[in-house]
Amino acid sequence: MGVIQFSKVDKVFGPRATGFRALEDINLEIRDKEFMAIVGPSGCGKTTCLRMVAGFEAATDGVVSVDGTPIKRPGPDRAVVFQQFALFPWKSVYDNIDLGLRNQNVGRADREARISAILNLMNLTQYAKHFPHQLSGGMQQRVAIARAYVLDPDVLLMDEPFGALDAQTRVVMQEELVRLARKNPRTVLFITHAVEEAVYLADRVAIMTRAPGRIKEVLDVASIRNAENWDSYEKIEDVMDLESFVHLRTHIWRSLREEKAAQHV
Amino acid sequence: MPRRISIGFATIFVVCIIWFLLTTGLGIIPSGRFPSPAETWSALIHVSGRGYGGGDLAMHVYNSLRLVVMGFLFAIATGVPLGLLMGWSRRAEAVINPIFLIIRPIPPLAWIPLAILWLGLGDAAKIMVIWFSAFVPSVINTYAGVRNIDRPVLEAAYMLGMPKFRFVSEVLVPGASPMIFTGLRLSLQASWTTLVAAELVGAFYGLGRVLNVAQQDLYPGMILVGMIAVAILGWGTTRLLGVAEAWALRWNTAALAAKG
Repeated sequence: MGVIQFSKVDKVFGPRATGFRALEDINLEIRDKEFMAIVGPSGCGKTTCLRMVAGFEAATDGVVSVDGTPIKRPGPDRAVVFQQFALFPWKSVYDNIDLGLRNQNVGRADREARISAILNLMNLTQYAKHFPHQLSGGMQQRVAIARAYVLDPDVLLMDEPFGALDAQTRVVMQEELVRLARKNPRTVLFITHAVEEAVYLADRVAIMTRAPGRIKEVLDVASIRNAENWDSYEKIEDVMDLESFVHLRTHIWRSLREEKAAQHV
Repeated sequence: MPRRISIGFATIFVVCIIWFLLTTGLGIIPSGRFPSPAETWSALIHVSGRGYGGGDLAMHVYNSLRLVVMGFLFAIATGVPLGLLMGWSRRAEAVINPIFLIIRPIPPLAWIPLAILWLGLGDAAKIMVIWFSAFVPSVINTYAGVRNIDRPVLEAAYMLGMPKFRFVSEVLVPGASPMIFTGLRLSLQASWTTLVAAELVGAFYGLGRVLNVAQQDLYPGMILVGMIAVAILGWGTTRLLGVAEAWALRWNTAALAAKG
């Protein structure tokens, strides 16, 4: 199971009365095995939402919980993929992926099997002995995704994971993530400011207001995806040309534009 | 032979020629001020064969090297863990930092009189002074190294649920290791400086002792032999450390190369 729940969550950085109000009254439930994307203007606190689920930040008020248990600290049940990859540069690709399993005291044979399966799935087998810096950004992020997925976590937290990649790599990674997520569904919380990415990947998209961030609306993409049969298209650009896709994308764009405009008043 | 190395040998050769010309060849520098190559050679033969200042060259070298290695190892065995602790725990830093602020400005050599007063002219006093001088750069660089570890990398480690000991040995230490090695190199230099100074003040053996006795005997050739011996040992030990560093930081050379 992996149900993420935000109830009445406020986050203030600094003193409660005078500090920076990052989040205000966040109420959101992410269902088990659901892929939820959060989009919002920069500085709206979307990454803070993810960091609270990860256990890196605590809510000032309200509760963030997974399966009803309030989050106290980081843990391997909530695997994180960071924008800057955050691999251990002194460990090989194999050892980076192995570390989490060793921490869970998984037996050697089991570890080897799971790692070689995930390496294979992510097309990393020939890079097992490389150090992260010997790989391109896209390859490094594959390793980071493998490191998260191999833990078989209930919840996968992805903080703008493709933000640091070039456009072509990004598209390939998005297609691979869809493939991975359909084959092996998890509860995913995916932070991005790229609207197309959110619509292409997510079952639902939550749009946030500018700071202090609130949930402005939540769009159901999955029902449209299924009705229009998006998954029958292999290439992202084919999906992006569909009228249903364009419609959703434009809707989100407008919503974000309003926030941007309000920011300048 | 690589070009850089052959150029290096050529430079040393030219310096020796100039040295010869200034002393023996043209007689510009009198031998009472600076020894000629021949005088230096005979001093080397003297100390290697009959011995000088209480022992032969091998004995002096052995003693100096032994003290440096022991002092250095004591210093890093205590300094690196303390630096890790200070880098990791704000509380430990708050407690220890004031002590550091007081002790740091004291030049390590200023501890020599106290060390001799406490421990006499034997090995213990010298190891203590070397320890004091090599300790500080180890601590400070290790501390800075821990503080320099990327925050997301630390967060990735928390996310993976690391047991404490493994967190220290597989994340903190390797993460800080580029700076730790900077600290070790500075510590090693400090060890040699301090050793020679401590032996100059008072010792029964050692290269500092050779220098001290040669000065009293007005024996420039022997002074130069002592200096050259210290230089070679300092270079050799630094070189060994460099080999260890290159091995421990293989991943980092890849990182630096990738950055261009």
